[in-house]
Order: sequence, then C-alpha cells, then structure tokens
Amino acid sequence: MNILYLLIPLALLLLGGAVWVFFWAVGSGQFDDLDTPAVRIIMDDDKRPPDDATND
Amino acid sequence: MCCPGCKAVATLIRDSGFERYYDSREAPEPGIVRPPDEAGEWQVFDRDDMLTAFSARQGDFAEASIYVGGMYCAACSWLIDSTLQAVSGVSSADINPVTHRLRVTWDSAAIGLGGILGVLANLGYKPQPLAPDSTERPEQDEQRSALKRLLVASLGMMQVMMFAVGLYSGEFQGIDADMERFLRLVSFLVTTPVVFYSARPFFAGALRGLRARRPGMDLPVSVAIGGAYIASIYATYTNGPAVWYDSVTMFVFFLTVARYLEMRARHRSIDRSTALSSLLPNTATRVDGEQRLSVPVSQLAAGDRVLVRAGESFPADGVVVEGTTSVDESMLTGESTPKRRLVDAAVMAGSVNVDGIVTVRVDKTGIDTTLGIIARLSERARYARPAFVQLADRVASHIVIAILLIAVAVASAWYVLDAERAFVITLSVLVVTCPCALALATPAAFAAAGSRLADLHLLVTNGNAIEILSRATHVVFDKTGTLTRGVPDVTKTTVLDNHFSADDCLRIAAALEVDSTHPIARAFAKYESGLRASELSLTVGAGVSGIIDGRHWRLGSHQHVTGTEDTGTDGTLSNVFLGDGVAITAIFDIDDTLRSDAANSLSALRNIGLSLSLVSGDSRAPVERVATALGIENSRCGCSPDDKLTVIRELQQAGETVVMVGDGINDAPVLAGADVSIAPSHAASLAQSSADVLMLGESLQPIVKLVSASSHTMRVVRQNLAWAIVYNLAAVPLAATGFVPPWLAAIGMSTSSLVVVLNALRLSRFQ
Repeated sequence: MNILYLLIPLALLLLGGAVWVFFWAVGSGQFDDLDTPAVRIIMDDDKRPPDDATND
Repeated sequence: MCCPGCKAVATLIRDSGFERYYDSREAPEPGIVRPPDEAGEWQVFDRDDMLTAFSARQGDFAEASIYVGGMYCAACSWLIDSTLQAVSGVSSADINPVTHRLRVTWDSAAIGLGGILGVLANLGYKPQPLAPDSTERPEQDEQRSALKRLLVASLGMMQVMMFAVGLYSGEFQGIDADMERFLRLVSFLVTTPVVFYSARPFFAGALRGLRARRPGMDLPVSVAIGGAYIASIYATYTNGPAVWYDSVTMFVFFLTVARYLEMRARHRSIDRSTALSSLLPNTATRVDGEQRLSVPVSQLAAGDRVLVRAGESFPADGVVVEGTTSVDESMLTGESTPKRRLVDAAVMAGSVNVDGIVTVRVDKTGIDTTLGIIARLSERARYARPAFVQLADRVASHIVIAILLIAVAVASAWYVLDAERAFVITLSVLVVTCPCALALATPAAFAAAGSRLADLHLLVTNGNAIEILSRATHVVFDKTGTLTRGVPDVTKTTVLDNHFSADDCLRIAAALEVDSTHPIARAFAKYESGLRASELSLTVGAGVSGIIDGRHWRLGSHQHVTGTEDTGTDGTLSNVFLGDGVAITAIFDIDDTLRSDAANSLSALRNIGLSLSLVSGDSRAPVERVATALGIENSRCGCSPDDKLTVIRELQQAGETVVMVGDGINDAPVLAGADVSIAPSHAASLAQSSADVLMLGESLQPIVKLVSASSHTMRVVRQNLAWAIVYNLAAVPLAATGFVPPWLAAIGMSTSSLVVVLNALRLSRFQ
C-alpha cells in the first residue's frame, strides 16, 4: 500500500491543476454567459450573404 | 414588414447573412419603438472628448461598455456579437445577455465609438454608452466567485469522500496507524480551502446576523462547519478516535449549490441603474447663440437652450421659448392623445416631440425632472412594499434558535452521561438538523418554476412574486398598451364622397402620412400602397396636405380640412378627416384597439376567482369603452401615478393581495407598490425594472398560466417544507440519543435535500 504515499500527493497535484485551470476559465469570462453558446452551436457561421439585392 | 425602418433592419440582417436570427429568437416582434436614428445622432460620439469620457484606451485600441436596450434572448446576443465581429476595426465584442452589457474593444483609428453605436442602433437595439467601470462589475464578480466557490467545494468533497471511504473501511478491516494519519492529513489539506474559501460567505453571514441580532440560517451552519473542522484538526493532531472532514465538505458543497441556484435566479432580474437614463435621448442639440452643438445629455445644465426636432424626445424638463408643437406624453401620463405646446408651455423630459421644431430652455435635468421623480417614487414604493420575508427565512430564524438550544442541551446532557461521546453526538445533531432541505425547499422550487415559466414566455425577476401570486385576489390593469395594443388603428371609415371607395381613401391617407412622425400616422402605415404624394406639407397640430394625381388633399382635423369648426361629431372617438380643403371626402375613426386575447384572458382570470380593476391615466370615454367591452366593473380614469398608487394602497388596506399589470412610466410607482407586478416586454424600461414578472410577446394569456403555475409551485414548496420538518423531527431524537454517527447524519441530510430537489424538478414539466 506504500504506493498510496506517492499516488495521493499526485492526485492532489492534479486537483490543484484542475482548480487552477477552472479559475483561469472563470476569470477569462468563459462562464459568464451560459445561454448563448448552447444556441450558437446550431448556427453555422460559414454561410455567405445572398448575392441578389432584391428586398422583401 | 411594418415600416421602412423594419425593412432597413431586415435588409441589413439579410445582407449580412444573419437571417437565422429570425429562426431562433424567442420573443415575438416587439413592434417599432421609433424610427432608426439618422447617422447624425451617433456622430457626436466619434469626437475625441467622448472617447475619453466613455472608453478606456490601450494603445491604439479603445474599450467601452455599452448598455444594449431591447435585447431579450440568446438570439439577440448572437446577432449583436456576429454583426460587430464583422465590422472592420472591432477586435472583440462580448455581450452578457443577462445584464445586457456589451464590452467592445476596437481600433480607434479604423472606426469611432459613434460608428459602433450606429451599427447597434441600425439593428434596432437601443445602445447607450456607459462611463467606464460603471455598475457591471459587482454582479459579474459575484457570479464568478460563486462559481469558483462551488467548484472548490465540489472537487474538495469528492476527494475527501474518497479518503473517507479508505478511513471507514479501515475501521472495519484494520488500517496502518501511519496510513490512517496520512489519510487524515491529506483530508485536512483538502478540507482547509473548502472551509476557508467556499464556506466563507456562511461565516460572514453568521457574523452579520449576530451583529444585527437576527440570527439567520448561517449561524448554526457556521457553528457546525467550524466546530467539526476544529474538532477534526484536534483529532488529527492527537490521533483521536474520529475525524469529520467528509461531513464538513459534503455539508459545504450542498449549501453552496443551493446558494448558487438562488443567485442565478436573482441575477436574471432587470438592471435598475440604467432604466431612467434609457428613456432620455443620448444626445441633445444645444443652441449657443448662432451655434448648434450636439452634446451628451449628461452635460446639459439649467439655463441651456436645446433644439428638439420632431420625433425626438425631450432631454430635460423645461419651457418652450421658440416654436410650437404637439407633445406625446402618453408614457408619462397615460393620456393617449398628444398635447399642444406653445411658447412658455412646460415640457417634460422623456416625452416625445411629435410634429414641430422647438427650442426649449432647460429648467431641470437628470433626477430632478418629472421623469426622475417618478423613478424615485417607484424606488420608494418598492422599499415600502408590504413587508414580506421569504417563507424559509421566516421559519429559519426560529428553527435556528431551536437547533442551537437542542445542541446545547444535548451537549450538556451527554457531558454528564458520557463526556467522551458528547462532541460526536452534538455534531451529529447539528448536521442532521441542518436546515439544508429547508433552505433548498423554496429556492429549488422557485428555480424550477422559473425556468418552466421562461419557456412559457414569462421572466420572473423576483422569486417572491410566485409566493404572492399564489394567494392573489385582485388584478389591476392599466389600459393603454396593456389591455389595448397601444398603437392607433382605423376602426371605421365613413366615405362621404361616392367617387371613392373606403380603400381608396385609406391609401390616400397613407400616402399623405408617409413622412409624418405623429402617432396617428401609424394607424395608416399598413395601408401604404406605393401611391406617392408630392408637395407634402405639415401644419403643426392640425394635419398634413399634399398633391396626389394632380388633386389637392388635406388630412387632419375638421378645421384643417374644411376651414370651419367641427360640429357634427360626438368627440368620444378620435376622428381624422380627409378632404380637399372645402368638402370632406371621408371620416376615419381612430382608436386604440383591444388585444385580441384580452377578453379570453380576463374571463379566465375571473374564473380562477380573481377580481379585476382598470386604472388608467386616460380620459373617461376611452377608459369606459374598454371597461364595458371587457366587463370590468371597477374602472378609474384620469389617474396620476400618485392616484394609481392610492388606489392600490386602498385595495391592500381592504385586505386584498394586488397584482398590477402595466407598461407605462406612469405605471412604474404602482408596479413597485403592488404586491406583485407584471409588465409586458414592450413596456418602458422604468416599468420593466419595477415589475416582478416580464411577459414576452403580445398575448395576455401567460398571466393566466402564471397564476396557476404559482399555486402549483407553492404546493410543491409546502410539500418540501413539510418533508424537511418531518425529517428533522424524526432525526433529532435519534441523533440526540447517540444512534446516528456524523457520516450517517451527513448522508441523511443529503438524502433529504435530494428528495426536496427532485420534488421541485417536477415543476419543470408543468403544463
């Protein structure tokens, strides 16, 4: 069971890393808007404006 | 397409390839508020002093905060985002759909602030640049730190749970003394940030509660967390029999989740700080001698002279010094017809100049204007609202004291009986009696109901609204814009000259009114047919004239059209005459028509057992007509904002729970003073900010759904509270007699919370 003395501190390091990454993500505003991205994914951005200029 | 403005917007959206906006926006068309601004209004923001006033510079790049009025859903934020990204010079644009704030950075050499505002205005939104670092930060900071706290608590809980499994199985199977100490030590390491970071708001809250001598739920929570944590450290240090790190982290996690859900709901509310200023124009034209200068409204002072053109709204309270015009004050007073204003007449900030060009001497600006006073009145009414404390809080204060008393009693009893077990048992009692389920019972149900109501096009901005709605007895409606559509419509066309059909007359009228900004003109807009009038001219306060197919036409008042005083009409309806200067060709009856589902919705409300009233600032005749048409018995007309508030107060004193539905600025104080208030989405922003519930869309039907959903929600809340109390009553004796170890107490507490949350989730499927 001695391997635990190595694995647990390693797990704690990973935990610290995860927390750091998450804090960075929150700090850079990635969690400020939880509604738009869900919609945005279904809208393609590569569609081009139509060429004709007739108005409706 | 309802007007050239719409067409321009639609064209811009289509040409940019963004027409998918129409597929995914959630709110139906809000209607046209005012025509798109001429480029001129925004140009003033291109000046250098504006750039320093409204933005922060970083080298060549400038950054500014813009409040975007008129956006409601994710589709809007996508549209704004995508459009701005495509503007050359803009390097980033972040919009927060909850706070309606746009943070944009751009290359100041390529485009000015005015250009960006112009793009937003062309999309049909109402942009308003904000001074740097105005009120955005607090909400965003709160949201971000709550999220961080939640994450630390959840990761910490998972880790400590894992170590706890090792420790517990060690108790059964035997464990190395070293390994046990090691596991306790790492548990301590992980628990420490959870206690000091994630749980800090609870300690702060407990301290506040103690200082204010009103102990809240935070107090026993803090005692349990702090006590268990310190005792665990002591046990870790002295190799005592047990540690409670797992209970601590689990406890903190569940409480943090509850707080986070509650905060999300709270932030959905409409931002109040910008409500007042968004009614005013952004800029005003100041007249200095011969010079005319466009200045931001915030720089106006008493004594300044400002020029106000037709279609613009007045930037400040003042007196007309030059010119005559008609003024539309319907948003401020509820009166549906424009008023004549001659030299020396007073005008109010926020009212709209309908047809003339006037110069106004500024008397009062900002919060001193009538508009500002109404805003303050509604703010006060909001605070003076019949005291209602959230159900859980009311119960909690008593329970908290009971829990602490029980804990002390248990601790002292066990100290006498068996001093060694006294601490463990007291801890179990504190954890098992944790008012967690109680704390979650209400917010969980409100959050679930809130998201379901959002699907039904209702935005609940104040959680208490649901509780009050469930026991509402009386609904008070405003007339203009609430029960009626708020836009004039031609209800009847009487043709006197049989050379023309009714359709001909409507088309001629539409052609004459095509350039007019007068509210009446909107009644004819939908009859526009491509017929063109030449030599259009406008007589202020009287009507328009022009030439169509070589024939001279006049449209407007009886006097304007025939040159003689009006004698024949009864004066209860607005009549508009069409003629050639001598004889009348047609008479149009103009009226603000009822919403199509008003009658249905009102009878549905009556069937639920609610009494209905109508309170309006408009004159007697139109109010009575609406009241009769909808079968409303109590109606009041000619009410000022103060009168309306008095009506509500009288009802409240008679023991009624009053729901107010209204949309005008003059409704704002009443909306704030009523027990619950509902505003349609097209309402003035001041009315919206005073309302507890926002209705998206044109229909009144959601009100009916809202009322039934609230009683349903309160049923679930009561079930939850009952469950939480029964659980606590059952668990306390067991814990106090020492049958429940802390870990079992923590599981019991979590299970009871889970039951409460699952029960609340049933609400999200409410029909």
